[in-house]
Amino acid sequence: MLVREDILTPKERVMALLTGKPLDRIICMPIVTTNTAQLIGKTVKEFQLDGKVMAEAHLAAFKKFGYDLIYLFTNCSYVAEAMGAELDYSENEPANCEVPIINSRDDLSKIKVAEKNDGQLPVYYEALEILNKEVGDQVFISVCFSGPVSTAATLRGVEAFARDTYSDPELCHTLLRMATDSCKNLIREIVRYGAMPIILEPIASGSLFSPKMFDKIAFPYIKELVDLSHELQALVPLHICGKTHKIIDKMTDTGSDVISIDKCDLTIAREKVAGRALILGNIDPANELLFGPVEEIEKVCVEAIDTMKGYTPAFILSTGCETGNKVPFEHIQAMLDVARSHGLYEYKEGE
Amino acid sequence: MDKATLFQEISHALVEFEVEKVAELAEETIQQNIPAYETITEGLVTGMKEVSRLYEEEEYFLPEVLMCSDAFNAGLDVVNPHLDKNSLEKPIKIVIGVVEGDTHDIGKNLVRILSGASGFEVYDLGRDVPLNQFIDKAEEVESDMICMSTLMTTTMDGMKTVIDRLKERNLRDKYKVLIGGGPISQTFCDKIGADLYANDASSAVRKAKELMGRA
Repeated sequence: MLVREDILTPKERVMALLTGKPLDRIICMPIVTTNTAQLIGKTVKEFQLDGKVMAEAHLAAFKKFGYDLIYLFTNCSYVAEAMGAELDYSENEPANCEVPIINSRDDLSKIKVAEKNDGQLPVYYEALEILNKEVGDQVFISVCFSGPVSTAATLRGVEAFARDTYSDPELCHTLLRMATDSCKNLIREIVRYGAMPIILEPIASGSLFSPKMFDKIAFPYIKELVDLSHELQALVPLHICGKTHKIIDKMTDTGSDVISIDKCDLTIAREKVAGRALILGNIDPANELLFGPVEEIEKVCVEAIDTMKGYTPAFILSTGCETGNKVPFEHIQAMLDVARSHGLYEYKEGE
Repeated sequence: MDKATLFQEISHALVEFEVEKVAELAEETIQQNIPAYETITEGLVTGMKEVSRLYEEEEYFLPEVLMCSDAFNAGLDVVNPHLDKNSLEKPIKIVIGVVEGDTHDIGKNLVRILSGASGFEVYDLGRDVPLNQFIDKAEEVESDMICMSTLMTTTMDGMKTVIDRLKERNLRDKYKVLIGGGPISQTFCDKIGADLYANDASSAVRKAKELMGRA
């Protein structure tokens, strides 16, 4: 496999895509986040609490791989944290919320709509400032955060939240409203730093809720975030983990610019998204990317590229979810090597 | 209402997760002196079987299964005090938990609910379970199976460790090992030498029964 050196910078490549100019190769954005801390010998905890560590780790990873997007992300609960939830931080696992803060309606007084400087949100701003300065001319930077459903479910506990959808929809929607407003405050700040907001909704997954329930609890709130991002002139991807084959058309209906998928057949995605958004996905970070071998990774990446051949506006080669700490860096490299060989386009300068 | 209609109504109300109605109907079976055992197996369990089917066919999801399990438990609470324990067949015993380092327990809880509703005797160790505890508990309760779940790639290896420790203690053949969770696959199951992989809670219960020859 002959790997060609990139002609465009990641930023030029993405700009070329957005402005309809020729690209040198397929865009490749593996979801590399907290695992970058290993590259500079820092713990996950340090990465999550210190913007300088976060920036330094991402700089090292970007220099190593030269992928087309930097994903800033710490854990799925940090918006909930900014609203008042308490998280448990351990050295080498993403922080999570062990004990839900909302056990009844009375607990609503314990939370508030997050403002831009609440919780650990400023960690991101510090990282963004450094990264903008260091590599902002070469690559786009994004911030991933849990959207309304995942944040509300963290505040309430997933199972209690799931029961509420039937037994106390009002509480459900109160939490969703507050979570949405918190996300909006964060989005404004992300965009102010010139970064791209990425909505994550692991809990709104088609593995947990029915398409009908998605319409009630997820769609209107996610759409609000998409609309705000567009008002602010920002592109906004929507990532949902797990199964999405029954909701991918609804995900697209939110107006999200990039549909980022995990366990969803690409053929179905292609048919349902139908040119209305970019499709990003979906090499399994818990299977091929974790276990390899490199040949197998190459095989599934090539298959994905071939399945999506000719899809417009474009297919972006990526992982189905974030790459965990145990995914070997050579395996991430293997993915980029495919983009730089099988994913090459004919490219004429000045075209 | 005759017995057959009562059972049908219980089953139907359960599937529609009408908690109070299930409890009322269960009360009526007691008044009619219908053996609790029959109400459980032909009314409540039949209802949960339908819930399992709806879940596997992606008609029902997490909220619906939880609501139905609440209805199931409401019915069970009414009839259980009247249950003649000798009438039950020997249940499949399982020890279940989320492996150490992981606290995502939705999938595990769904398996607990659906297996419990299928008549399994379930020992739930909860989440973030120290690996030895799976084996120690299985030994203590003379379990048939050890069921492990995780949603994280970082903790998958814990499952292999449990299997290795079973081998070290010469206990591997004593227990069937069932694994599941987001990142788990048949490939991983084969790789670590587990007995069974299921990709959702409903098929986990079905496959576990098959494996134990109770299908």
